[in-house]
Amino acid sequence: MERFFDPKSVVVVGASNTAFNLGATICNMLKDYLSYTGAVYAVNSKGEVVNGCPGYSSVLELPQAPDLAIIIVAARNVPGIIHDCAQKGIKRIIIESAGFSEGGETGEAMQCEMDDVARKNGIRIMGPNCLGTLSTRNKFCSFYGVNPSLVEMNQVFESPGTMSYIIQSGGVAVLVMESLYYDLIGINKVVSIGNKCDVDEADLIDYFQSDATEVIGIYLENIADGRKLMEAAARSRKPVLIYKVGKTKEGAMAAMSHTAGMANNDSIFDAACRQAGIIRLQSIDELHSLPKIFTEMPRLKGKRIAAFTNSGAFGSIAADLLVQAGLQMARLAPQTQERLKKAGQVFNIKNPVDIGPALPQTYLDIFEILLSADEVDGLLPLLSVWQTFVIDCLHELLKMCKHYDKPAAIYTPNAIAKSIAIRAKHKIPIFETSEQAVRALSVSHTYYASLRRRNLLYDAMLQDDADNRPIAEVVS
Amino acid sequence: MTIHHVLKKEMTVQELLLKAVQNGRQALSEYESKRVIAAANVPVTRETVVHSRQEAVEQAARMGFPVVLKGSSPTLTHKTEMGMVRVNLKDANDVARAYDDLMGKGVDLEGVLIQEMVKGNREFVIGLTRDPQFGPCVMFGMGGIFTEALKDVAFRVAPLTEDDAREMIGEIRAAKLLDAFRGESAVDQDVLVQALVGIGNLGLAHEDIAEIDINPLIVTGGKPLAVDALVILKRGI
Repeated sequence: MERFFDPKSVVVVGASNTAFNLGATICNMLKDYLSYTGAVYAVNSKGEVVNGCPGYSSVLELPQAPDLAIIIVAARNVPGIIHDCAQKGIKRIIIESAGFSEGGETGEAMQCEMDDVARKNGIRIMGPNCLGTLSTRNKFCSFYGVNPSLVEMNQVFESPGTMSYIIQSGGVAVLVMESLYYDLIGINKVVSIGNKCDVDEADLIDYFQSDATEVIGIYLENIADGRKLMEAAARSRKPVLIYKVGKTKEGAMAAMSHTAGMANNDSIFDAACRQAGIIRLQSIDELHSLPKIFTEMPRLKGKRIAAFTNSGAFGSIAADLLVQAGLQMARLAPQTQERLKKAGQVFNIKNPVDIGPALPQTYLDIFEILLSADEVDGLLPLLSVWQTFVIDCLHELLKMCKHYDKPAAIYTPNAIAKSIAIRAKHKIPIFETSEQAVRALSVSHTYYASLRRRNLLYDAMLQDDADNRPIAEVVS
Repeated sequence: MTIHHVLKKEMTVQELLLKAVQNGRQALSEYESKRVIAAANVPVTRETVVHSRQEAVEQAARMGFPVVLKGSSPTLTHKTEMGMVRVNLKDANDVARAYDDLMGKGVDLEGVLIQEMVKGNREFVIGLTRDPQFGPCVMFGMGGIFTEALKDVAFRVAPLTEDDAREMIGEIRAAKLLDAFRGESAVDQDVLVQALVGIGNLGLAHEDIAEIDINPLIVTGGKPLAVDALVILKRGI
């Protein structure tokens, strides 16, 4: 799999000097923007050079078998090129062309033929109908049509991070990459898998176990093999977050039983996620808003949350949200309340803890009191940045969370644009709404609970071999 | 000769299913379905199939009144709607009359099923379905005649761990009905758990089973008991 993300040499089949040629955009990006140092070859009908990339009229004429072939030509020409790649000894291919299984019967037949050639020659294929791979650390990207002069795209490569995405849509890939630029976490890798005739989301979950990835975010339009996905996710020691759209095809036959009549794809996918420890996302936005609770904070190991606010209104909102999310408002012990009383300027020493205009030390004392309390598993600070010292206090909070091994999902009830600016400038994991912060605590706990359970999950073998059990006559 | 006559003690689920599929059948009869689910740890009603009025009366007396009579046939998948169920038969006369009634319906029956009459206020459903992406999945929920109207059900992908089964039982909105209820004792959840795990394993082990409905699963004395069951077979052999 590594050669898909870090090839030492590449051929772009279909790159030419024709106006609006998509293959050429790949050559340009590798050469001009990413300063890719490996060999880049172009294959086109005229055999012409493209932006300094040596040109050939066939894959067979290349001076070597490159690590990776990127194919971006009309679908009908792809099977022939796959044959050429096989003959040349190329083992990794990204097919960006569309018009295969999504494009009717002839497309499907072509896809089958390609699968066959690939299998026989030990070739792995990504796509068709995809953008391929992006790897920030290796400064490699196979996406066509990307304009790296856009500030966000530039940033993606300049500050590699730990978030990796598997995305079945180019548009969603752009959305999450741009959004992360205004958040905290950098990108490690992005992969667009298209029709996934060979490499699928399960293969990539496995691959991301052994690189710099900390969180795996997935956007799916369909699932090829549900059980393979469940097994890969259940093995994963990194959080797997999935947002899935679309309903799959109903079974060919109408259901005869009530059970089949009531089963729908959504409730079964929900069950599969729960069993495999997958975090099922409720919106596309959660692909970029939630990961920071995993990368920046310890896991939430219990459900008891202490809310802490400098504005009473947000305390009661938080209590409702926490209960709706399946979490609990921690019941603060008498000694904890006693300590809070001594901290000064505390209006409410019960949860939610509410303070008036207080000094920085009061904030720090309260963080410490709540995080150190045995009856508190996590913190929900709802702290308006009304003075700049609040930002310094939040910095201290991050350290305390690590020390006490308990998370805080921070929300600053300020204008969202202001919160985002503080987050970017001061590297504080601030959630943009109180709903988001509560949701982050909830998924952190879901993930922690699943890690504990999953050690058991696949031990569930067929305990009794029903085949060999005689049927007992019930009436003797 | 009807299928239940060749149902011997040593006949396995595999053999029963194979025979039914080879005969081009779409479903098992209630009696056969119960043998299959019983082998997967689902407690079922005491019952037997009879072929004469005389035999019906004898078997009913042996079982103890009241009893239930149902027309038995693998093609009869909606017995109640077809008027093929007679409940609460209190003596030999009731049974004889009900037997004649059912046989006189003009429906092609392989016999009449005599079953113990189970009383209980709480009815659940256990089911199996095959999802195109995830394969065999187990369902648990509120059973009885309102099952599809209430749609209070939970699913799990097979195989289920005991924890999965316990969790899905607690997931339905009416989970409170599993506790002690109106003078009836709490439902024995261990029995439910074993049944759910068993049905999941059954689905994994037997490709020939397409779908299963166990409805109602009536709770009597805290013990769930399958009162009706339907095994749908894979089509296209």
